[in-house]
Amino acid sequence: MISPAAAYRNLLLFVLPALAVYLVFAVLPLATSIVMSFFQTSGASGRTFVGLANYERLFTHPTISARFWNALLNNIQYFAIHLIVEVPVGLLLAALLTSGKLARSEGIYRTLLFIPATLSVVIVGFVWRLIINPLWGLVGFPLLGTESTALTTISLMSVWQYFGIPMVFLYSALLAVPNELVEAAKIDGASGWTTFWKIKFPLIAPQFGLIAILTYIWTFNGFDLVFALNGSAPGPNYSTDILGTYFYRTFFGSSGQLADLDLGAAVATVIFLTVLLVTAAYFWLIQRRLKSYSV
Amino acid sequence: MSAPDRISDLAIPAARRRQDREPWPVERIIVHALLILFVLLAIGPVLIVIINSLKTTPAIFGGPFDLPTAKTFSLEGYKRVFTRGNFIVNYLNSLIVTVTTIVLTMVLSTLAAFALVEYRVRLASLLGGLFVLGIMLPIRLGTIPLIQMMLAWRLMDTLAALILVYTAMSVPIAVTLMVTYFRTVPTDLKEAARMDGASELRTFWIVLPLVRPGLAAVAALTMLPVWNDLWFPLILAPSRQNQTVTLGVQQFVGQFMNDYPALLAALTLGAVPLVLLFTLFSRQFISGLSKGYSK
Amino acid sequence: MRSIHASIPLAMTLSAMFSSGIGMAYADPVTITLNSWRTEDIAVWQDTILPAFEAKHPDIKIEFAPINTNEYNAAIQSQVEGGAGGDLITCRPFDVNREWIKRGYFESLEGLPGLANFDKTSRAAWSGADDKTYCLPVAAVLAGFYYNADIFKELGLKVPTTSAEFIAVLEAIKKDGRYTPLAYGSAESWQLAYNGLYSIGPAYWKGEDGRLGLIDGKKKLTDPEFVDAIAAFAAWKPFLPAGQESLNYADMTQLFTLGKAAILPDGSWDINQATSTNLNVGVFGPPAPKAGDQRYLQEMPDMGIGINAKSAHKDAAKTFLDWVAGPEFQELYVNAAPGFFAMSSKPVTYKNKLAQDFADLKKGAELTPRLALDRLSAGTPPLDDETWRLLQVMFTKSDVTPQQVATELQAGLASWYGPQKK
Repeated sequence: MISPAAAYRNLLLFVLPALAVYLVFAVLPLATSIVMSFFQTSGASGRTFVGLANYERLFTHPTISARFWNALLNNIQYFAIHLIVEVPVGLLLAALLTSGKLARSEGIYRTLLFIPATLSVVIVGFVWRLIINPLWGLVGFPLLGTESTALTTISLMSVWQYFGIPMVFLYSALLAVPNELVEAAKIDGASGWTTFWKIKFPLIAPQFGLIAILTYIWTFNGFDLVFALNGSAPGPNYSTDILGTYFYRTFFGSSGQLADLDLGAAVATVIFLTVLLVTAAYFWLIQRRLKSYSV
Repeated sequence: MSAPDRISDLAIPAARRRQDREPWPVERIIVHALLILFVLLAIGPVLIVIINSLKTTPAIFGGPFDLPTAKTFSLEGYKRVFTRGNFIVNYLNSLIVTVTTIVLTMVLSTLAAFALVEYRVRLASLLGGLFVLGIMLPIRLGTIPLIQMMLAWRLMDTLAALILVYTAMSVPIAVTLMVTYFRTVPTDLKEAARMDGASELRTFWIVLPLVRPGLAAVAALTMLPVWNDLWFPLILAPSRQNQTVTLGVQQFVGQFMNDYPALLAALTLGAVPLVLLFTLFSRQFISGLSKGYSK
Repeated sequence: MRSIHASIPLAMTLSAMFSSGIGMAYADPVTITLNSWRTEDIAVWQDTILPAFEAKHPDIKIEFAPINTNEYNAAIQSQVEGGAGGDLITCRPFDVNREWIKRGYFESLEGLPGLANFDKTSRAAWSGADDKTYCLPVAAVLAGFYYNADIFKELGLKVPTTSAEFIAVLEAIKKDGRYTPLAYGSAESWQLAYNGLYSIGPAYWKGEDGRLGLIDGKKKLTDPEFVDAIAAFAAWKPFLPAGQESLNYADMTQLFTLGKAAILPDGSWDINQATSTNLNVGVFGPPAPKAGDQRYLQEMPDMGIGINAKSAHKDAAKTFLDWVAGPEFQELYVNAAPGFFAMSSKPVTYKNKLAQDFADLKKGAELTPRLALDRLSAGTPPLDDETWRLLQVMFTKSDVTPQQVATELQAGLASWYGPQKK
């Protein structure tokens, strides 16, 4: 048996390299960003402490706050579409792949279905813009140019790219369902359909919570696809603006707009808290309850 | 039943091998039909890019969804990518960054995960929690402090800057995942090693082969966001000699806006490596993930 | 702590590994870096301009390091704020650069001999609040209309000079039905302002009269001349291709170069793209509201080059800029990058025919930069951004009138811009 002192020493020696890289290059910059949000840059002369002034501007300036709420609402919609479409599609495909009717083709299907998830947004944005282009594509209606359809269209492009992720998660979980249970159900004369919903589904159910929260984190950190398609002032009329593009525009400016580092830091902090609070709440409430049921 | 042999016999179970020779019942046809439909949806757009990259400009816009004919076939796009772009350098940069990040992440996270499972002192669960928290840290929000840090350490516009940030980004999820694998390692094995007088590092080395599937999952999870990232290459390593493939392709899009064959060729070339890797290693990736669930 | 220290040498070694090859190649002469957003100019600089300079100054090597235009401000600001960035930085005109000057990004250029080649107007876009010039004017761009001369000939059309003639030409093309009258779409809002309103508008608001009137608060965007300009722009709507709401800049150019559209409202910088398929292309300027009216043309100072205040090689950078100010560079650049026009007071000839045609449009026309970029965009909401947004709204929705656009623009500007507040 190892003594507690040795355990501490060993633990630290093994963990330190990973911890150091993580703290220095992820935690520290974020913390610094949060600190920056309480300061004002005054040209070359450095920074002065201004308390909550940047937040006050963010939430009370008519234009700045209106755009922020707009981006937040759009982001919620962006997340909801991912959740509503991606998860059922992923589940359906995972169920089909593990239905036991595929033999050797299972691996081929799985690999092909995962291809979109390996692409960069540059190619995803480009090819879908071509496919739905009113001039040379398949759709005459200007999906991306209409305020009411633009965000949904971009969300669905993103869903197309990433449905492979929930699929693989659920597929792996289904593979881990003990074979004896399935075989036993078969012997009892249950159909594939019944076996799936009665035996497999309850076992993989905890996965949905995890997928939902991961989707939440990813969509609230979303930026690339919207930026690749519509730039940093995503129109029409900011209808495709999400928090990521709002942050980018504020922090870095666009060709006609100055960059505002201080306000940007405040925006970053607010986004961070939005992600953190919901995720923390999820882990405290839901995940804990799931665990206590499953034990 | 222990996980490893379950996965291997799930790959092609005897029951399914028998089905290969059976006539095709309706259920089986439906499963295949649905999967084929989704596969077409998944790879159709990719095929459109590849097909059009082999055509002349008028042919692309004359019929974007037609196959190239003897008359419209052209490799000019590919030629121009190589003569006017910076592709070889971009590829090398992406390779260096991705491979180094994966190796660093694997080494650091396995060491840390081993210790977090092994030395069950209070601090261990605290550190474990800290890493879990890191999964949701939107590291981009700390971009400005990161830039200042890289400048201070004279790492600005180097591949090393990218590698460090990406490693910090990947370590939390890698540690969390590897912890679940180390939990599956039987305690007897480690105790036996220690009885023989093995050092802690040696013990680690002995159990390492048992968590190999987890390493595959870690590699895959690290590779995707790193290879396809647009944000950090843009900001931390934008100069011509440091550009990664994704940034290179993005710039090529800006540069040769109307040279569609070259554009599509650039997009195709940019996507090839990851598609290839995931096709080759999809089995390891999946079994790695599913073992995580079957603990 | 130990492992943090351990990771720094590791990082250093890695970075040394990656950069040593490049560092050694240029060990002898001073190497300075030039940042630009003109990624499409790589070949021009590497093959033509830099060799010409380096032949005269073998002790200085210039590395051209472009960054995509979308990300340019972001990259420059984040690099310079932290003390890095290229030795030479290409400067955006007016408000963005004024702020950059205020933040101390640039070394003042006062005293540079070559600066004498540029008059005060040419330098205005890159002067600070102290009236000193911080960037050397390199090039300006013009906006106008490319037209497919063969289509015009086929349909028996003449180049329009008044708004009425312009609309008549569009009607005729539309009636014929084979070609799209205007290759124009509203997915990219910037070009609704830059290639649309700011191009035809000056004829209504009388160029500098209107622009400076807004700046010193004597005029409002709700004044008839501005509303009329917006209305004249809105009149294009029936002549755009179906689905124009989703068409971006690349689509428009493509439509024109494939010979499917007759007229492309665009900037001079797109000359190479517009003629890339060897069509018989001509160019005309914005139409006058009535026959015999004064002609106006948008001439936008587009780029200057400044010296990074933190550069370690300011002398080399100054040597380079002095050369850039001279006739050799001016002639080389505008001819290597057709569509860009020299701002120097020394005469320059253009070898590209279309570029010369564009330059000829300047004769007899009053020149004016883009409406909203000087001072009017230095607050929130920036007038330029609001113009992009509201023009896009006007072009994508059927129930938004030019009057409403003007009212909202004015309200936005008056909310923060001193001279416009009552």
